[in-house]
Amino acid sequence: MNTIENIILQCKEATANPKKAIDDFYKETGKKSVGCFPLYCPEEIVHAAGMLPVGIWGGQVDLNMVRSILPAFACSIMQSVMEFQLQSVYDSLVAVIIPSPCDTLKAIGQKWSRENVPCIQFVPPHNRQLKAARVFLKEEYKAIRDKLEAIIGEAISDEAIQESIKVYNEHRQVMRKFANVAAKYPDIIDPVSRHEVMKSAFFMRKEKHTALVKALISELNTKEVKPWGGLKTVVSGIMLEPTSVIEVFKEFNIAITADDLAQESRQYRVDIPEGDDVFDAMAGMWQEMYGCSLAFETDKSRVKMLREMKEKYEADAVIICMMKFCDPEEFDYPIIKKEMEYHDIPLLQIEIDQQVQYVEQIRTRIQSFTEILQESK
Amino acid sequence: MYTMGIDVGSASSKVVILTDGKDIKASQVIQAGTGSSGPARALDEVLKKSDLVLGDMDFVVATGYGRFTCDSARKQVSEISCHAKGIFYFIPTARTIIDIGGQDAKAIRIDEKGIVKQFFMNDKCAAGTGRFLEVMSKVLEVPLQEMGSYHDRAAEASSVSSTCTVFAESEVISQLSLGIPKENIIAGVHKSTANKACGLVSRAGVTEDIVMSGGVAQNPGVVKAISDELGKPVVVAPYPQTIGALGAALYAYEELIKTKE
Repeated sequence: MNTIENIILQCKEATANPKKAIDDFYKETGKKSVGCFPLYCPEEIVHAAGMLPVGIWGGQVDLNMVRSILPAFACSIMQSVMEFQLQSVYDSLVAVIIPSPCDTLKAIGQKWSRENVPCIQFVPPHNRQLKAARVFLKEEYKAIRDKLEAIIGEAISDEAIQESIKVYNEHRQVMRKFANVAAKYPDIIDPVSRHEVMKSAFFMRKEKHTALVKALISELNTKEVKPWGGLKTVVSGIMLEPTSVIEVFKEFNIAITADDLAQESRQYRVDIPEGDDVFDAMAGMWQEMYGCSLAFETDKSRVKMLREMKEKYEADAVIICMMKFCDPEEFDYPIIKKEMEYHDIPLLQIEIDQQVQYVEQIRTRIQSFTEILQESK
Repeated sequence: MYTMGIDVGSASSKVVILTDGKDIKASQVIQAGTGSSGPARALDEVLKKSDLVLGDMDFVVATGYGRFTCDSARKQVSEISCHAKGIFYFIPTARTIIDIGGQDAKAIRIDEKGIVKQFFMNDKCAAGTGRFLEVMSKVLEVPLQEMGSYHDRAAEASSVSSTCTVFAESEVISQLSLGIPKENIIAGVHKSTANKACGLVSRAGVTEDIVMSGGVAQNPGVVKAISDELGKPVVVAPYPQTIGALGAALYAYEELIKTKE
């Protein structure tokens, strides 16, 4: 097995077994883990405490117990997360942090019913550009630190958070670089591998992931860039899962040249600005965030951003990965559709549902879309 | 040269044999779809009809939900592309295609060369599909193939929710118990189907000629309801249920020519 395969395997193993990642981390360090809900969690605070911030993005699970607290027409990710919660899957966590930029996430804090795993909920303000919004969020982040300190019985200093910010900013830069480099090697980094590299960041300390991805980038840069005979796409949405859906991209030789996914590149879009006041700096990042349906903008920069990504990466099309029952994403879609049609950019929407096991409907859509694009080439 | 198109849908299996990419030699529809004996029976019967064997086929293309389970096919093409190809063969002025099958409803926009420019499909919802009509047909105790004939006898279309097949069934039962005439309810069911289909069509853009295909196109009541909703004439493709298979057979002919070149 070569270096690239080895690194991708490590990433796959991390994403396949988050519980093992948590247990192994505890064995190695004696430190526990904190669950970090979507979309944008101040993981730096958890990291500064020496703990492992673990992404809580749900997964494929039959929904039974969650019906007691969520109706069928609620966000697919939260359905699976709460099913896992009710099945005690998260009981080894010391706490969870829940940002609440949308209605469903607002409700989840009330529904979190694990006394042994306290939940720290906070509100990222939507009227982000106001000075008051920055002050508000700074206080929210301070409150998260204070509550976490009370839970773990240890102090989390500003200096430690400052160091963690440096680690995370370096990681963000490396992940942006990875996305650019991977775009040149779709024959080596297929859509499934690309996703595993991105997602594995949620299951290990960021410095460890940075080292892995740096090594991967170095290896890739020694390889010959080969022309790609298939289609190239920009994917956009909350996430592109489960793996069976990504496999359909592989099946039809579709490369993911760039992504605007909340679970992937949106996490690394904006660095935390420099500043002595760590909480103010972290709040500043939320103000600077752009191109996400959950980060309110009057000019909807996401639309122009997608068009520019398509041109920059010479993609053939944009594919919207619509998270089932995600209102913010659904509200963005008509605006995106109008813009893409105006500029003659081929656009496809597929529905993302974590519970789905059979992907025939998606296969039909993707195959049809591929046929249309190949015919017009 | 013979080419074959096999369309294995959710509710039915269709096969078309084409001679030299132009003439339909034989076709067959079996009302049993993927996972059943339908595909094999359809294949058997069409070969018997045409007095040919599978080995006589120079190229076979499969389409539909069950296209990847067809061992006899050399290539699989999506039903979107096949429906467009099949309809364009008969109606080269077609620009908007509405295909309503057993569990899928599709709106397809094609250009003057018959190339698909845009398509939309229903998402995991049976409302507005053949399944919706089947459920209503059972509740109303009117055979599916007769529902169309009730449409024009309705004094008015009763209101039937178009959001959920199961809830629509409850509505229909309530209306039956209130004594609302069956023809009015059926007109309401057709209107509900049209409402769903037109929602998809408006996303793809409506340009005449508008052509319907798929099993549901055999119901003149639904065709009329869609035409009324769009405010434009709707043409039913010849042999609407086998259009996909015809498109597949045409694709098979194109592939055959490519291999010979």
